[in-house]
Formats: sequence, structure tokens, C-alpha cells
Amino acid sequence: MTTPGEEQAVNSGFVRSYVITGGRGLPDAEGLSLVTLVTIAPDRQPPPNPSPEVRAIWELCSGGYLSVAEVAGHLGQPVGVARLLLNDLAEQGHLMRRKAPPPAQLVDRKILEEVLHGLHVRFG
Amino acid sequence: MALEVSLMTFAQGPLLWALVVVALVAVGAVLRARKTNIGLRRQNSELHQQRETLQRQRDELHVAYTGLTHQHSAELAEVRKDAEEETKAVLKAAVRTLQGLADEQQVVIENAQQKYGDDPGILADLMAVDHANSQFGRRAQGIAVLCGGWLGRRETVASVFDVARSAQGRIRQFDRVRINGQVNFSVVSKAVEPVAVVLAELLANATNYSAPGAPVEINIQAVPTGVCLIVDDAGLGMGQEEKDRAAALLAPRAAISLSSLGIPPQFGFAVSGMLAARYGFKVSVDSVSPYGGVRAVVLLPDELLTGDVPSPPPVAAHHDAEVAALPRRQAPAPSPTPLFPPVAQPIAAPQPTGPAATTAGGLPKRRRKSPVSVVPSTEPGQVRSNEETASRLGAFQRGTRSGRDMTTMEGPEFQ
Repeated sequence: MTTPGEEQAVNSGFVRSYVITGGRGLPDAEGLSLVTLVTIAPDRQPPPNPSPEVRAIWELCSGGYLSVAEVAGHLGQPVGVARLLLNDLAEQGHLMRRKAPPPAQLVDRKILEEVLHGLHVRFG
Repeated sequence: MALEVSLMTFAQGPLLWALVVVALVAVGAVLRARKTNIGLRRQNSELHQQRETLQRQRDELHVAYTGLTHQHSAELAEVRKDAEEETKAVLKAAVRTLQGLADEQQVVIENAQQKYGDDPGILADLMAVDHANSQFGRRAQGIAVLCGGWLGRRETVASVFDVARSAQGRIRQFDRVRINGQVNFSVVSKAVEPVAVVLAELLANATNYSAPGAPVEINIQAVPTGVCLIVDDAGLGMGQEEKDRAAALLAPRAAISLSSLGIPPQFGFAVSGMLAARYGFKVSVDSVSPYGGVRAVVLLPDELLTGDVPSPPPVAAHHDAEVAALPRRQAPAPSPTPLFPPVAQPIAAPQPTGPAATTAGGLPKRRRKSPVSVVPSTEPGQVRSNEETASRLGAFQRGTRSGRDMTTMEGPEFQ
């Protein structure tokens, strides 16, 4: 009737994101924006029976600071899901956060030209 | 003399004649009666013969009738079977399209979740859509199985825990399910979907037939012959009749007729039975859970298990690379960029970043680079005098140093 060859491949993700969050409400971006840097605090033990995602976060973030967006990217989960899990870890005191360094202030090109011009006049 | 006279008298007497006549008549009557008797006997035997013939004919007719009835019912069964098979074939083809669409839609939703994952509101809505779509996909898979079709195949093994979580995501009241216990086993790729679908059907029964809000537990246990997934609910349990029906569906001896599943069709057990038989695992629902409800047990034999660790899909692809990169993240501030010979190489060439510059989610992979603080010159070949070069580089060095000082002040500052 049917041969195994007829079987279509299933491509969608296996574990759904709402199962990972347990159907809980998602936190807003406050406190953990995309560019907030997070790391596991030193000398902490992972929570007992961590889910595979929490374990992955633990491994990812134990080595140094990573941004929330990067954590989500490595997990392959939406940022909101990673944020919820990170929020849990933060509430348990496992997580340290640091604001992203402020973006560099771009100097007006005109000022640079004026400075260059002044230097030329003085030294050139 | 007297005797003679009497004899004479006797012979001549009317009585004698009367007697003779009577005797004659009697003889005639006897003869006639015998004749009649013979006739009747003949008639009787003829009738007997006729009756036997008729009985034989009746028996023959009876045999013919029975034969016809049998033939008829056999033909009817065959026609029914054909009709059922045709229906199943049509349904299977139709459902296969639906399965494909559900899977396709799931991928679209996943991508949307990645794309809009930063907005909790949108993500929550997308999760609701995802949830509905997962249930839809499971229904389509169930119908496909009943029609003799296939579920679709996964390419990779999945841990028993993930199979349980995947099953959890396919039912309406997934938030009532708790999963306890983890084993270091994975389900081989061909059995991943079947086991997830069966477990989802059992979870759906467990949540539907127990009090709303009551938790449903999945306990994962390694046993000598494999791994057990035990689903316990706190419902009312099943009566003997229901148990018998379930047992019959879970160990099907013949193809299950679609019309026997009732309206609305209850095909959880039928689907479970067919999949278990096809892939070689066991499902039973005949015990009582510690909470008084039904305990359903899926027993996965060793043949369907593997010790391979299913690399958690997202982290999998680049996990090793990531571990290798970690020490670099920990490293103290990199040594100042050598300034000489930056003149010959005015563009701080980006360090070769190796392969795999993006994550599975399409995000760029960040690697720690040496600080690049020079605005790249657009005229690399420009020739400058030594003096000019020295003064520029001196200014540049002072600039970068002050810049780095700022960073170090900011750097080690923890929360």
C-alpha cells in the first residue's frame, strides 16, 4: 500500500517554543534588552534537573559575557524565549548582567576637516 | 337314513345357498380389497418416492441457498473492504497534503517567531498560532495513520525527554503536563515521530478525561528491556468495557475500519495501536495510576533506542566552535594593536573569522576582534614623509590609549 520511500521529511522544529516556556507569560524587554550582556556568576551550581535549554545557556554563558541576542541565536530560540529563561536564572541569582557599552559618538566630519585644516596650517 | 335326509335337507335348504352366496361375496370382497390394498401400497410407495425426491430437492436448494448467502456476504465484505480501502486511499492522499501544509506552516511560524521574538506580545500570539497548528498537524497525522499512511520522518535522533516535550506540545492542555526523569537514551530517528504522536494521543486522553487543572505526569524510567514512558492522570479511570475496547484497539488484529470509530471519531487508541504494531513498541492502558486515574505505559524496546546523544538541535551545529571560542572571550583585553607596520597596511584588515559566520538562526556570530579604531583610509597607497607619519601615529597612539583606558574603566565593572 505504502512504501517507506513515500514518507515525507518533517522539517519543523521538534520541541515547540511554548513548551519550553511552559506556557508562561513572556517578560518584556526591560532589564534584558537585545544587547544586554549576560554571564553566569562565578562559583554557581546549575539548578537541579535543568532543561536542555537552561543547560545550554549555562554552557554558553559560563565563559564570559554574551548578549541576549547571541544567547537566543545560539539556542535557536526566539529572543523572548531566551529572555524568559535568562530571567529565571537572574531571579535565582545565577546571572550577572551588564549594560551594553554605549555606542560610539560619531564626530561630525566637518569638525574633523577643520582640525585637519588647522593642523595643516600649523605644521604643514 | 336320517343322516341322508338331513344332508339332503341341508343341501337343499336355503341356508346352504345363502352361505355359499355369502362365501362367494366374501371371496369377491377379499379379492377386491386385496387389489385395492396393492393399489394403495403402490401409491404409497410412489408418494414416498416423491417425497424423497422433494426432500432431496429441498436439501439441494438449501445447500444452494447457503452457498449463495455465503457468496453474497463474502462479496459484500469484499466490496466493503474495497470501498474502505478506496476511501482510505483518497483520504490518505488528501491528508498528506494537509500534513505537508501543517509542516510548512510550522516552519513559517518558527521563522516568524525568530523574526519577531523580541516583542513579547507578538511572540505570545505567534506561540498561540503555533500551538493550534501543532494540534492540527497531530490530527492530520492521526488520520493519515488510520488510512495506512505515514507520519513523516525526522532526520535525527531525539532524546527521550525531547520526544516527551514534543508530544506535550501537540495537545491542547499542554500546560497541565509535567515531565519527570531523564534518561541518557535517544529514540532512533525513524521512531521519533511515531512515539511522539502516540504519547501525544495518550496525553490528550489523559487531559481530556481528568478534571480540568489536574496535573498529568509523564515519568521516564529506564527498565531492563528498554525505556518506559508512563503517563498518569487523576481522572476517573476506565470501566472494564472501555478497557477491553482499548486493549482491542491497542493490539489490532486486522485493519481498523474508519466507521467503527464513532462520531466524533475517537481514534487515539486506534492510532496508537497501529503505530505501535508498525514500529515495534508496546502501549498499554490497563493499569491504574497512583492518582486513581488511568496509567498508560509506552515501552520502547532497545531496538528503538540509541545511546547517541542528540545534539540539541540549535546549539548542535556550532557547539564545538563555540567552546573553542570561549577561551578567547575570557582572555584579558587583547594586547594593543601593533602600530608598525600599520602604514603599509592602513586598513586594519578584519581578522579571518573562519567558516560559519552565522548561527542557525541567521544571526551573525560574533567573535572577539582586536579593537579596530582607525577610520580606514580611502587612499591606501598614499606616500607620506617619515615626519608626517610619526606625528600622525603618535596622535593616533595617544588616542587609542585614551580610548582603551576608558574601556578598562568600564570593563571589569560587574553588576
